Amino acid sequence: MNAAGTLRWARAGLPGLLVLIALAAGLATLAIVAVRGHPPASQAQQVQQIAAGLHCPICKDLSVADSPAPLAQQMRQEIAQKLRAGESADQIRAGFVAAYGDSVLMSPPRQGVAGVVYYVPLLVLAAGLITAVTLLRRWLRAPRPEPPGAGSPQLSATQRRAVARAVARLREEEPG
Amino acid sequence: MTRQMTRRRTRLLAGVVAVVAVIVALLTTGLGKDPSVIASPLVGRAAPNFTLPQLDGPPVTLSKLRGQVVVINFWASWCTECQVEQAALDQTWRQFQDSGVVMVGVNFEDSTGAARDYIRTDNVTYPVVEDTNSRTALAYGLRGVPETFVVSQTGRIVNRVIGPVDAATLTSEINSMLASA
Repeated sequence: MNAAGTLRWARAGLPGLLVLIALAAGLATLAIVAVRGHPPASQAQQVQQIAAGLHCPICKDLSVADSPAPLAQQMRQEIAQKLRAGESADQIRAGFVAAYGDSVLMSPPRQGVAGVVYYVPLLVLAAGLITAVTLLRRWLRAPRPEPPGAGSPQLSATQRRAVARAVARLREEEPG
Repeated sequence: MTRQMTRRRTRLLAGVVAVVAVIVALLTTGLGKDPSVIASPLVGRAAPNFTLPQLDGPPVTLSKLRGQVVVINFWASWCTECQVEQAALDQTWRQFQDSGVVMVGVNFEDSTGAARDYIRTDNVTYPVVEDTNSRTALAYGLRGVPETFVVSQTGRIVNRVIGPVDAATLTSEINSMLASA
């Protein structure tokens, strides 16, 4: 292969090579992230995450993270203080639940009566699937109505005689 | 109509009736509740301890009041409903202050000057403390002011009143606790 041919070959293969390099780089990055995990959240991010999961007790439909109320500010400070003291997010949430009850949580807990909200949609979905499968099986098993003209109609002797008479009459009436 | 069709329709009707009955039961239960009443997980539990600076006097520590009935009232000078209940609180304090009952006013999200003015104007004579960083309010699961907690001689919260409290409620609570002591 001469120099011009080599150049043409290199030009033709270049886009594919670039895609290959991009794919390899993407996969390598994903692998590194998967092995190393996410970088640990800073304390401010942890405070934000915990506060976002708590209702501001003196506001309507605002989380502690979003509320400008002084009590919400105090709650954020308390969260930061407890994190510095070594408490986990679950322990901090449990502390607020002990004072305010489950209603302080933005999402209802999975256990107890409130947990029903998580399971009812699954139950409804399962019931829907069972109904759909039952109806489908019933539909598949049901006898199909035969197309008109298929098979011989069940006629009584009287009906057969009447048909024979009518056919004979028609033949007689036929010219020639 | 075949017997099978009749049976199928009866079953369908029974299913519809059952679903409607469940919905009606849920709605009746929900609508029968007072939406302003929020169950407090603290009632029946030990009252969170606090040591808070008094506006005019030495700091108050709840645990040191063990053996007495303690009425803890969270209030603020900017709160109009707190003014509504002030007469009831004063009346209860005058009635029980020498009978083993302590009333503590906890000033919430307020300025010291405004709180002092309020105390002077309304002639509040029971101890009033400042919850400057609202930590006590958070420990008591406060949702606003006024809120009143009645603490037994053993240090347990026996009642929580959200909104203005009346003298009759307080008197009856205190009398029953003093009688059982």
